[in-house]
Amino acid sequence: MANKIQITVNGKAIEVVPDTFLLAAIREAGFDVPTLCHHKDLSPDGNCRLCISEITERGRTKLVTSCNFPVRGPMEVKTDTPEIHKHRKLLAEMYLGRWPAVPLVQHLAKQCGVTSSRFESELTDENPKACVLCGHCTRACDEFMMERVLEFAGRGIKRHLTMPFGEVDHHCVSCTSCAYVCPTGAIQAEDDANRPLDSRKIREWGMKVNAEMARLDKKQNRMREVGTENLLEIMDAYDLLPVHNYRFGTHPRAKELYSALFKRDHWTQDIADSCWHGCSMACSKGVDGFELRTGPYRGQRVVVDGPEYETAAGAANMGCFDREFTVEFNFYCDTYGIDTISAMTGIAFVMEAYEAKVITEQDTGGLALPFGATDAALTLLHQMADGKGFGVDVGQGVRWLRKKWAAEGKDEKYLADIGMEAKGLEFSEYVTKESLAQQGGYGFACKGPQHDEAWLIFMDMVNNQIPTFEDKAEALYYFPLFRTWFGLMGLCKIVWNDVVPADNFKEKEAHKIPGHVRGYWNFFEGVTGIPLDEEKMLEQSARVYNLQRVLCHLLGFGTREHDRIPYRAMGPVTREEYESRAERYDNQLAKIMGVDPAGKSTQDKMKLLREHREKQYDLLADAVYKRRGWTQDGVPRIERLEELGIALPRIVEIVKDAQ
Amino acid sequence: MTLSPRLQEGDLARIARDVNTHLATYKAMLMVCTGTACVSARGFTIRDSLKRKIEERGLASDYLVVGTGCNGFCAVGPIVVVQPEGVFYQKVAEPDLDEIIDAHLLGGQPVERLLHTDLSSGRVTTRMDEMGFFSKQVLIALRNKGLIDPENIDHYIARGGYQALAKILGGNDPESVIREVLDSGIRGRGGGGFPTGVKWRSCREAALARGEIPFVVCNADEGDPGAYMDRSIIETDPHSVIEGMAIGAFAIGARQGYVYIRKEYPLAMDRLRVAIGQARDKGLLGEGILGTGFSFDVTIHRGAGAFVCGESTALMASMSGRVGEPRAKYVHNVEYGFRDRPTVLNNVETWATVPVIIEKGAPWFASIGTGDVKGNPWGGSTGTKAFSLVGNIANTGLVEVPMGITLREIIFDIGGGIPSGRTFKAVQTGGPSGGCIPASKLDLTIDFDSLKDAGSMMGSGGLIVMDDRTCMVDVARYFIDFLVDESCGKCTPCREGLFALSRVLRRICDGKGMEGDIEFLEEICRTVQATSLCQLGATAPNPVMSTLRYFREEYEEHIREHRCRAGVCKALIEYSVVKENCTGCLACIKPCPSGAISGKKKKVHVIDQDKCIRCGICMEVCTYDAIVVG
Repeated sequence: MANKIQITVNGKAIEVVPDTFLLAAIREAGFDVPTLCHHKDLSPDGNCRLCISEITERGRTKLVTSCNFPVRGPMEVKTDTPEIHKHRKLLAEMYLGRWPAVPLVQHLAKQCGVTSSRFESELTDENPKACVLCGHCTRACDEFMMERVLEFAGRGIKRHLTMPFGEVDHHCVSCTSCAYVCPTGAIQAEDDANRPLDSRKIREWGMKVNAEMARLDKKQNRMREVGTENLLEIMDAYDLLPVHNYRFGTHPRAKELYSALFKRDHWTQDIADSCWHGCSMACSKGVDGFELRTGPYRGQRVVVDGPEYETAAGAANMGCFDREFTVEFNFYCDTYGIDTISAMTGIAFVMEAYEAKVITEQDTGGLALPFGATDAALTLLHQMADGKGFGVDVGQGVRWLRKKWAAEGKDEKYLADIGMEAKGLEFSEYVTKESLAQQGGYGFACKGPQHDEAWLIFMDMVNNQIPTFEDKAEALYYFPLFRTWFGLMGLCKIVWNDVVPADNFKEKEAHKIPGHVRGYWNFFEGVTGIPLDEEKMLEQSARVYNLQRVLCHLLGFGTREHDRIPYRAMGPVTREEYESRAERYDNQLAKIMGVDPAGKSTQDKMKLLREHREKQYDLLADAVYKRRGWTQDGVPRIERLEELGIALPRIVEIVKDAQ
Repeated sequence: MTLSPRLQEGDLARIARDVNTHLATYKAMLMVCTGTACVSARGFTIRDSLKRKIEERGLASDYLVVGTGCNGFCAVGPIVVVQPEGVFYQKVAEPDLDEIIDAHLLGGQPVERLLHTDLSSGRVTTRMDEMGFFSKQVLIALRNKGLIDPENIDHYIARGGYQALAKILGGNDPESVIREVLDSGIRGRGGGGFPTGVKWRSCREAALARGEIPFVVCNADEGDPGAYMDRSIIETDPHSVIEGMAIGAFAIGARQGYVYIRKEYPLAMDRLRVAIGQARDKGLLGEGILGTGFSFDVTIHRGAGAFVCGESTALMASMSGRVGEPRAKYVHNVEYGFRDRPTVLNNVETWATVPVIIEKGAPWFASIGTGDVKGNPWGGSTGTKAFSLVGNIANTGLVEVPMGITLREIIFDIGGGIPSGRTFKAVQTGGPSGGCIPASKLDLTIDFDSLKDAGSMMGSGGLIVMDDRTCMVDVARYFIDFLVDESCGKCTPCREGLFALSRVLRRICDGKGMEGDIEFLEEICRTVQATSLCQLGATAPNPVMSTLRYFREEYEEHIREHRCRAGVCKALIEYSVVKENCTGCLACIKPCPSGAISGKKKKVHVIDQDKCIRCGICMEVCTYDAIVVG
């Protein structure tokens, strides 16, 4: 944090962070100045000039507008000299002369001691809801929605608010931000097309999100600028980025996949892009005019969505630190209708098996498949889609391949350790070795190891918000239910936690981002009229979640054995992995397990660590099942189903033998 | 046809030598002015006819016809100057051309009737250097005016062009370039007078600190009524601007420059476009300039003509595709300018001056002008300044004079004084937001600081001279109305305050002024000046404040006596017939648009005041001084 700056406001000394706007500093010091064009959620514009203050800096005195003057050095500030008062009064008189009936203006005039105006003219507007040209709406349109549907037209005294060419602009998504921020009522929203019960509640939450996106995103995750790809560099820095089939969590060449380079070389249009027109986060990205090197569309220029974090991280997982490759792979996955995560994790598995010589070119149809083989990876992808060659096998997924090779007499145990799937689904792209919470998040997920049921890695490993075993177990109760609730409501979950309120750190359970959860409840209540709290919300989703688990059981994937994950997700499978992080693992042996690593072979240490970690995972399963009201084999108890009101005979029938 | 080869460092001197040797083979060169003013007086036709005639008569190997940029003496165009003697022909028409060829070129005798007659002395002058208009000028920014074809890069190189760029690229020390500019004391010619070297240094530092590649921008959005220095520089010598920008780019580390030019300047834009193309062909713009590692290119950005877009932040907003409105400058352009990158913006004249500073050195430049800039870049005004001299003045035109010259010297010695026997009343400097300076201040030296002290400003360099038939209240109203139209309307004081000023001034001119109006004007002026967002607003009250300062009694006469002493404000004047002088010639009756004059031949005419619309045509057509206004 930069050094604070000493300033005095009307004689009172305070300290401020550099680049604090003077208005905030003045208010912090307990004073105030009148404002009209200022809005707490919008960037300062300085057009009304009412907030002028006198500053003396390095011996020079001048008037500045407080709202947009950044404090960068020591200064003396005066907010109420006779000169300032005189100017402010005349400005208020100008407003009163032009818009005498607007309550905001009347209030301002009163505040400045103005009772009548010499500025009345043929332009005097008696409308109490007249537009006073403060520009809140134009800034909200730009900053909240990244649109410029509303702008001022006309120079000087002819300035007026309009849409382009005075017509209704079809880019307007009817977000009503402009009406929400309008201080006079000059813009009125005519909405309620979907007849929500309380549109005010919905709008308040929506506007809070908009404001946070406008003000906080650029300081937090830069979703508008680089989208989810911002995670890549964070994961690389925290040793959580999957590299070479999850063997490692970082790589010197991972920098080639950082968002700054995609932004520089690939993403086009340089604008925030949204997956639905009207989203104020707008985290989608795209590459225009990308020339394909391979496949049926070779030589053509195409538009490619993304890449998202998972896709770029998947490239790292295959050791392919190549942005062109990533974009091309992304394009063909989209075009063929193949999931990038499953395809990439699957190929990473094949590459490791190839490098470990478990399989050879005889198995791959002649393809050399070491890590980093970008052309071969694309060939596999084309083969998958074409139904030809080795790609057909790889397309069946990791579980199928693992079983096939085991049947052929290949190293079954090793393949089970490194085949990154559970319940038949490939892992998504996070290294979970050090995050017990995320291991559970993957392992206990009904659909298999996909992160959106319980994405705990960030709160566990980056923010360190769930440090204890109990915290992690509780998180594995709360988050899958909470995130299932999003799915039920059809709401985007990215808005929940990628940008967090500026004061989130003050919350007791900061990792839940309670300010946003309350916002979702308001939204729900605004639509349905039913007030929510945590208990009611979790009850809503627990019904569905438990039903899902019952269905898993019906399909033969609903017991403890199916919640197991390959050891690669828990700890080092190979010597190389252990030794690359020897210090960390040795430390854990000593501190957590009370074992002196000195003099022990890597093999011995790996064995000890594995025993410990597998036991931890089992203990976690015990605790989570208990908390969820399931049996120790991971099957929902009939009592729990009754409690949730879903103990229908056909449901009970499925689980009754497993109680 | 092959493309011209990309030049290496030593090639410049060779080209200069070759071109000069070639030009020396001509007996004379006929420089036909094709600046905008002369073009509007058929300058292109004169150039083309002259060329054709020379060719038809087989004289093309002895005489070269060159279309040049603005000569400067716009009042007397079209102009043809015969070089190297410097014989100056004015108001040349097509039929005159044969005579110039026969009598002068072949006969050795200048054509006397086309020569210039000095108004004040009545003396006929032959050569440019004998003429008062030219003899007191010192040319730096306009060093090549009338001497080169602006569309021929070789002409520029022959006059030493691009040598300064070659010199700094050879030295390869950006810091020393900045030091040179700083030591020269040059301050921004666009009006603000900010020391150029300080700006460059801050930009370079900001760019290095943030690891950003900065931009250079040339502000060619000249919008002051009556000002055309920048247009003329580009029309006359576009390469001087390009070279200046390349030097600036090298100094601060930029690779891309932009020229923001208003689309009302088509000729300047064309010449700039041609010049950029030629410079690219020669490798003086683009990758690896003059065979060095320095790369730089220039792009033209056309402005749509809003006055406020001459303000740097509004200009950059306009360049970014946004509405051309200013923003607060608490964070400077040198830190966050165009595309949020550090940006140096200088005006055309500043860029055109830079190569000369590099070529001749800071001490030479600093020796011209006033004050002392050693140690304090704000300590004086060095070098020269171009002014456009317009209004009620004999020698309308473009001049470049050393800083520190007096207004009197410019207006009377160079400008030839006030025509038609009228007397000098005031001069408006600094454009619409400048101020009116009265006769008592004619001995004021011209520099950034003295003009500010006098309640005006340097501005971009427009000088509008007014004679005694100018009403100062009306002048203030005129400029305020201009600014009411051109204010962007973003901030309240400029938007509402200027409109109120305009209303009050109009009221006074209409004879409806009230006691207290002057004080109200002053009150508004103070607040607009102190609280406006940008310099357009902050300086906008100048016309009112300066006329109130120097001509307050005229306001008081309008309000209290309902009198306009200059006879301008229609509501306050009457045209009447002086019985003793009227011969009854009928000349005024027909032109009167409202049929207000009646009378019979050889009888005194009468003006019906109810019908009279006070247009003044009668007074203009009367040759007997029989109509007066009062």
